[in-house]
Amino acid sequence: MKKTVLFAQIAALGVIGVFTTGTVTAADPAKINWSRIPATNVPLFYPGQSSYEWLRSDAHKNAAKEVKRGDSCTSCHDEEGAEKDLGNKLVQAGPLEPMPVKGKSGYKDLKVQAAYDEKNAYLRFQWKTDNAYPGTEHQYLRFDGKKWEVWGFPKLDKIVQDGQMMGIYEDRMSIMIDDGKVPGFAKQGCWLSCHDGQRDMQKQFTKAEVAANPLLTSIKKSDVRKYLPESRNDPSDWKTGKSVEEINKIKAAGGFVDLIQWRAHRSYPVGMADDGYVLEFRLGDAGKDMFSGNADATTHAPKFMWDASKVGYKSITVDQLHQGDHFLIREKNAVPFDPNAGWKEGDMVPDYILSREDAKGSAADNNAIASWKDGMWTVVMVRPLGLTNSDDKALKAGGVYDIGFAAHDDNITTRGHHVSFVKTLGLGVAKGTKVDINAVKLP
Amino acid sequence: MNLTKPLLVAGLLSLNLAGSALAAVDDEAAKALGKRNDCFKCHAVDKAKKGPSYQKIAAKYKGKADAEEKLMKNLTTGPKVKLEDGTEEEHKIIDTKDPKELKNLIDWILSR
Ligand code: HEC
Ligand code: HEC
Repeated sequence: MKKTVLFAQIAALGVIGVFTTGTVTAADPAKINWSRIPATNVPLFYPGQSSYEWLRSDAHKNAAKEVKRGDSCTSCHDEEGAEKDLGNKLVQAGPLEPMPVKGKSGYKDLKVQAAYDEKNAYLRFQWKTDNAYPGTEHQYLRFDGKKWEVWGFPKLDKIVQDGQMMGIYEDRMSIMIDDGKVPGFAKQGCWLSCHDGQRDMQKQFTKAEVAANPLLTSIKKSDVRKYLPESRNDPSDWKTGKSVEEINKIKAAGGFVDLIQWRAHRSYPVGMADDGYVLEFRLGDAGKDMFSGNADATTHAPKFMWDASKVGYKSITVDQLHQGDHFLIREKNAVPFDPNAGWKEGDMVPDYILSREDAKGSAADNNAIASWKDGMWTVVMVRPLGLTNSDDKALKAGGVYDIGFAAHDDNITTRGHHVSFVKTLGLGVAKGTKVDINAVKLP
Repeated sequence: MNLTKPLLVAGLLSLNLAGSALAAVDDEAAKALGKRNDCFKCHAVDKAKKGPSYQKIAAKYKGKADAEEKLMKNLTTGPKVKLEDGTEEEHKIIDTKDPKELKNLIDWILSR
């Protein structure tokens, strides 16, 4: 995957055009001179199952009381190499990791640079992948001779750990941002949103529990994902959701965190990052995402396949993984699925269909460019300033925000990421204001 | 039987010698032992955390003959210590059986 190819692709999709229209000028993220913008190293570590509840339990020796009263993690975990030590320990089998992934690194350096102009904030990230290839593959629909089934699962899944299935999942770079309105986020960051009962956590929910839960049924959810303490009557019990009415009040007052995810399969190919938020659940912003499921709800056969006249094939097989870009893009290389195209056992079509054109509304706010070279991802997220959507945190020149970072690397999802303690991000803050990362105003 | 006592004494003597001004503190070894024991989660060199800074501890014991003995006791017997909010808990007991390693850490703390 060469840089030039990707930029050409983005230009063709009109991304560059978007950046240069309008009355105020916006920088082309590919042309920003990043060598002149200061870089901050943000240590990322593997957190295992260190949930909100575990941190407040006696198992978190000598710290439960302090965490409960709201002390910051780094009031204790600030010794030299704290993140490295935590990650290298937690990535191995132990009380906080019942499903260790063989060979996984416990720690990553994340290089962060930030800039802004009148229109956007530009966040640049660089980190090394464990694998010698970029994690751009995602789950497939595979024909088994009779029917189409999802193929490829994340590495925390038992089926992958048992060697019955290949580990396939896209790489991601995610940020969680607050503007001071979520109680505790400035001190404890992402850990406010990580709870027992969620997918791959201790005491994982059962389908029956979710089906019996008033909040989750009223928001039509079938599992338990990130939530903020304020959305529950007892923050340590996911089952105690407040009413939708109460939650809407919290949301209107800004008591949610923005969650932006750059996805190496589901947003990168169309020059975007997704846009979501966390309050009572990890939710997508209003509108339409740049990706959607490619399986037909009733037959589970694909809805789209590759356009062979454009890419030379209608599907791939397992031996072709990691050899080229396997993105299915509605406006670029996809045609409606033909059930009579002579499918053979082992044929694979992406489980997701992408479209920049179809992405709409608040869900389509964030752009991104990226490249992977010599084992390292370089991603630039482009976030418009001053968004007024009810599900966005508005970034403004001079503002200071609390921000947490996470990288999903090597075919994994849920808690299988490397995360940071919470940091501060300023947008051109005045001299004397201390922030971890200060975005530079572009000329 | 009779042999053990002189040997022990000799051992302690040489230990004391090694720990006196003659031998420099092994910085790396002290930090590694402290890290392994979570000492740095509660103590930093130059600022108060849950426990006092090592500089403050060093200042408190400066010029006191029994400094080493007191710290040894603090780290091996789990005495009750007072936290800043007035509550008490038992102090961490260090997990090394190597007196040389422990003494090195104590000297490191006292020389902050
Ligand atoms: C009052 C000090 C203090 C605070 C505040 C604190 N911790 Fe800890 N933490 C500790 C100590 C001490 C240990 C080591 C205990 C042990 O060995 O089990 C620890 C252990 C951990 C571990 C487990 C590491 C292992 O060895 O298994 C994790 C994960 C962790 N802390 C995360 C956090 C996070 C996240 C926060 C913020 C929400 C936090 N801690 C806040 C003192 C603290
Ligand atoms: C859970 C937090 C915690 C941990 C872990 C911890 N300490 Fe302490 N330490 C304290 C507190 C609190 C005090 C007492 C402050 C007081 O009584 O004034 C203290 C006191 C001390 C003192 C001074 C004793 C004195 O006589 O004044 C020394 C020396 C010390 N600790 C060293 C260590 C070392 C070395 C380690 C690692 C083996 C360690 N501590 C681990 C909290 C901790």
